Amino acid sequence: MMSMGAVDEEDRLDRAQAQWVLRRAAAMLAPYRREVRRAVALVVVSTGAVLAGPYLLKVGIDRGIRPGDEAVLNLAVAAYVVVAVVAYLATRAQVLLVSLAGEGFLRDLRTRVFDHLLRLSMPFYDREKAGVVVSRMTSDVDSLQELVQQGLLQLVSSLLLIVASIVVLAIVSWQLLLWCLLPVPFVVWASIKFQRDSNAAYLTVRDRIGLTLSSLQEGISGVRVIQAYGRESVEIDRFARRNRSLYRAHMRSVFVQAWYLPVIEGAALVCTAIVVWQGGRLVADGTVEVGTVAFFVLALSNLFEPMNQLSQLFNTVQSSGAALKKLFELLDTPVDLVERPDAVALPGRGDLVVEGLGFAYAGGDPVLHDVDLALPEGQKLALVGPTGAGKSTLAKLMARLYDPTEGRVCFAGIDLRDAEVRSLRTRITVVPQEGYLFAGSILDNVRIGRPEATDAEVRAALASLDLLERFEALPEGLASEVHERGSRLSAGERQLVSLARAALADPAVLVLDEATSSLDPGTEVLVERALERLMAGRSVIVIAHRLSTAERADRVGVVADGGLVELGTHAELVARGGRYASLYRTWVGGLASA
Amino acid sequence: MASSVRDGWALVGRQLLGQRWGIVAGVVAGLAWTAAKVSVPKLVQLAIDRGMEQGDQDAVVRYAGLIAVAALVAAAFTGLRRYSAFREARRAEAVLRDRLFAHLQRLHFAYHDGQQTGQLMSRANNDLQQIQNAVVLVPLTIANLATVLAVLVVLVLTDPVLTVLALGSLPLVNVLAKRFATTLHPTMVGVQQESAELSAVVEETVAGIRVVKGFAAEDTQARRLATEADDLYEVSMAGARIRSAYWPALELLPNVGLIMVLAYGGHQVIRGDLTLGSLVAFNAYVVLLVWPLRMLGWIVAMAQRAAASAQRVHEVLVTDPAVTDPANPTPLPASGGEVRFRGVRFGYAPGSAPVLDGFDLHVPAGQTIALVGATASGKSTVAKLLPRFYDVDDGSVLLDGIDVRGLELTELRRAVGLVFEETFLFSDTIAANIAFADPDAPPDSVVRAARLAGAHEFIGELPHGYDTEIGERGFSLSGGQRQRIAIARAILADPRVLILDDATSAVDPTKEHEIRDALTQVMANRTTIVIAHRPATIALADRVVLVAGGRIVADGTHAELLAASEAYREVLAAAAAREEQARHAALDGDPVAAVSEETAS
Repeated sequence: MMSMGAVDEEDRLDRAQAQWVLRRAAAMLAPYRREVRRAVALVVVSTGAVLAGPYLLKVGIDRGIRPGDEAVLNLAVAAYVVVAVVAYLATRAQVLLVSLAGEGFLRDLRTRVFDHLLRLSMPFYDREKAGVVVSRMTSDVDSLQELVQQGLLQLVSSLLLIVASIVVLAIVSWQLLLWCLLPVPFVVWASIKFQRDSNAAYLTVRDRIGLTLSSLQEGISGVRVIQAYGRESVEIDRFARRNRSLYRAHMRSVFVQAWYLPVIEGAALVCTAIVVWQGGRLVADGTVEVGTVAFFVLALSNLFEPMNQLSQLFNTVQSSGAALKKLFELLDTPVDLVERPDAVALPGRGDLVVEGLGFAYAGGDPVLHDVDLALPEGQKLALVGPTGAGKSTLAKLMARLYDPTEGRVCFAGIDLRDAEVRSLRTRITVVPQEGYLFAGSILDNVRIGRPEATDAEVRAALASLDLLERFEALPEGLASEVHERGSRLSAGERQLVSLARAALADPAVLVLDEATSSLDPGTEVLVERALERLMAGRSVIVIAHRLSTAERADRVGVVADGGLVELGTHAELVARGGRYASLYRTWVGGLASA
Repeated sequence: MASSVRDGWALVGRQLLGQRWGIVAGVVAGLAWTAAKVSVPKLVQLAIDRGMEQGDQDAVVRYAGLIAVAALVAAAFTGLRRYSAFREARRAEAVLRDRLFAHLQRLHFAYHDGQQTGQLMSRANNDLQQIQNAVVLVPLTIANLATVLAVLVVLVLTDPVLTVLALGSLPLVNVLAKRFATTLHPTMVGVQQESAELSAVVEETVAGIRVVKGFAAEDTQARRLATEADDLYEVSMAGARIRSAYWPALELLPNVGLIMVLAYGGHQVIRGDLTLGSLVAFNAYVVLLVWPLRMLGWIVAMAQRAAASAQRVHEVLVTDPAVTDPANPTPLPASGGEVRFRGVRFGYAPGSAPVLDGFDLHVPAGQTIALVGATASGKSTVAKLLPRFYDVDDGSVLLDGIDVRGLELTELRRAVGLVFEETFLFSDTIAANIAFADPDAPPDSVVRAARLAGAHEFIGELPHGYDTEIGERGFSLSGGQRQRIAIARAILADPRVLILDDATSAVDPTKEHEIRDALTQVMANRTTIVIAHRPATIALADRVVLVAGGRIVADGTHAELLAASEAYREVLAAAAAREEQARHAALDGDPVAAVSEETAS
């Protein structure tokens, strides 16, 4: 069957990398040491059994049949029965053992990589593309799964079988073996060429499959636009061309297989011819017996078939190696936002104070510098300013989603870096701009940060925002699955769930990123009201996009050019005639022209 | 439209009939391979019996030579049979995929409304893959059957009793292989499903990482993943247990045959009833039969899956497009743009409540009207009936006095340009997206269309300007930018009737007035129907039509309606309530920053 693995040139491991990957993998396999050892022992046993069959036939012919010694023949038959039973049991056990070790390894790898991903902080997610991060846990681990489920056992037993066959054949008759080795250099050369060609061919197939599928997807989801512009025929032709190029890529890979297969099959049969020819000569001069010739004829398939298996598996092994390397590198990515060993719990209330705060991405220019700011308990601060000036970075630093590169942020006098992460997140909670929902019910979604919260507590949180009735009115109430068709929530309702999460967390400080996109008018009012209730009695930092929000805040901070350039009440700042005042004028002017 | 398994078979059968010569070539190659392959053990037997056992070295060399010839023939044909089997299978897959795609392109909107993209994708991908897998096996199976028969004949002629003993256990290989494939399949599907569920947890965690971090939900998500990883482990191990039950048994059965050959055959040789060469040949034949018998076991399971897939593909292909060209189309007059809805009744699904009922509307050529109404009032439906995306249940829709059902679809749809509320752009360059209606349009007209849609400015700031690739693998645009490209696309098509269905809803209000100015130019001398919520956009129209409950409830100028219609005032008030909200961008002040925010989002 066709091998499905392929590896890009730049991902191919060199010797040092391969050794490193193997060492790391061996270390992770440590808990399965027992299974691995037993599996290897059993592979040796079953390889022996594969070779023992033809050998017993040879013994039966040369010692039993030809001399007419029925006792020896019966003995050979009995031995064969034993060998067959042993082979059966050994194969059975080794399939299970390899799976126990391999699947266990994969499970450990998945949870470890994911746990590590969860520990990595926001700067990592800002830096890496989400698709790439996800692909570590999906396509990279999947390519390993393919190896574990389909290839690993075959790989080991093929290698062993080749070596063992050569040894046994040499012991039985090295003269005949030498003749049989004649086509081997040709087969090896063909196998190397095949492995390269099929890798290249398969990479092309993979690309073209991707292209065809995306063009298929576009043709289906864009069918309304295509029909609206009467472009069906053009799109059909375009798709047919893509599809045709996929067909050609498939045929290229079929050609590579169709060229290599005859080499393997031909080599084995040509060897049979050689064995008969030279074997006949050796039988005639008494060097070997007829049974040896029969043994060679039957055992030859053990020499060439494993070579075929190996060359088919080679690409899978390489791509798995590349995947493992990426995964281990990810596991080695340092976690920069860690809880100190002597971390303390934050008190229930307190002022939030920012002192000489500066932030820069690793190796980058400073995003923020020299920010000093105090947010007394219960006060509301609106941050305004042009996009990219640093207002959301400031908000994230105040919630310790990032660690500052200079200065510090303290809550109730405790540096946030000295606080337990869990208590920090319950004291200071960030409500993102858009309500993001996870698969599960509304209940699950509200208690995402406090999974131990009871249904009653969730209800209380919803009720505190006056939202309980709204969600109980859904077909299945709070147990409604949010991703199921029919109970999909609108953007506004998602935002409400997000606010309820914050209410359940009951933080002292709320960090809000005001939504920039408009909500449906029905829920807009509800969101406003819920937000009002949520903010009551808490300190609030809001990244404001609306003037009305800024007007309502106790103080307004204008962030521009990486610094806090103005700070004061709305009235003060308008009166001061600075940046805020000019923003205000633009806004009033914009409203008037509508 | 229900298709049966028989329809599925018929679909594949007809396709293969069209490729019969390719299949025949594959079968012939397969038979030649069989002949060469089956002859080898027999030749070995003769070399032993007539050569080695007789001490006739010449005979040995002669048979060795023949084996070499058979080796070359078998090698050549094994390549050919594989190549032609896969060529026909891949060709069938490609042809069916083309047909499926072309058919989907012609199916009416109502059909697509009822389908999920993922389902249709899986027809054109997974189902065709299943069919391909089975088609490969057609020529291979014929050759395999021939091999089994040929071996049987050779062996029976040599020693019938030994044949029964040697091959007696082999039919079990066939049975076991079939049961293996059938039993393993559900766990393979299970592995796929569990993998998908695990991926879903990873994807939503990465996409919602801000929430996860903000609420310290790391442990919750880690536990969810651990559960999924355990499930995946369990189903994988279930598969491993099935493999461990069947795989060793499949390897054991040929050994039973080989032991029989040695036990019974050995004594026969000693007694002189069988030649030594035949004994060796029997061994080789048992080994030779293992693979063909395993494959014959698979094909049953694979054919069943392929038939189910073919049935699903057939179901799509036999659905008739409901909206088609008339037999004798009437040509449109050279110019015009007069639109008339006459007593139109329409509902999206047969039997459901009509969305429009008794809808009458006349728009003289060149007029701009605004359709205003609350959500689900039916105003977007009006827009979809004119280009005949759906056919009316009763009444008629006329363009320049001709019922749209009497017009050629391509001509009608070139005459009516509709900008949808939800923008769909193709993964291609910006220029190609704008020139969608007319790919040969000169660059000048692309730029002109972009200017009129208020898109020229931001396109100029993109990395490669008009040649910037957008979409999945390219640059991602903001909602407002996408809408402006869609408007430019409609402008370039130069339709006589232009419909803008809430087409500027995502455009930043501070930018919208620029587009409005440009749109006035586009609307001049062109019938335009604007569906809008923003009062400023409504103000563009010569006339306003208020739709409620599937019919027109008020008709007049903006000022007239404002004065006379309470319902109109309510709709506008709702829209105005959102205007403050939509003002948000003003606070970001810096216009360059505002654009860069759109670009980045």
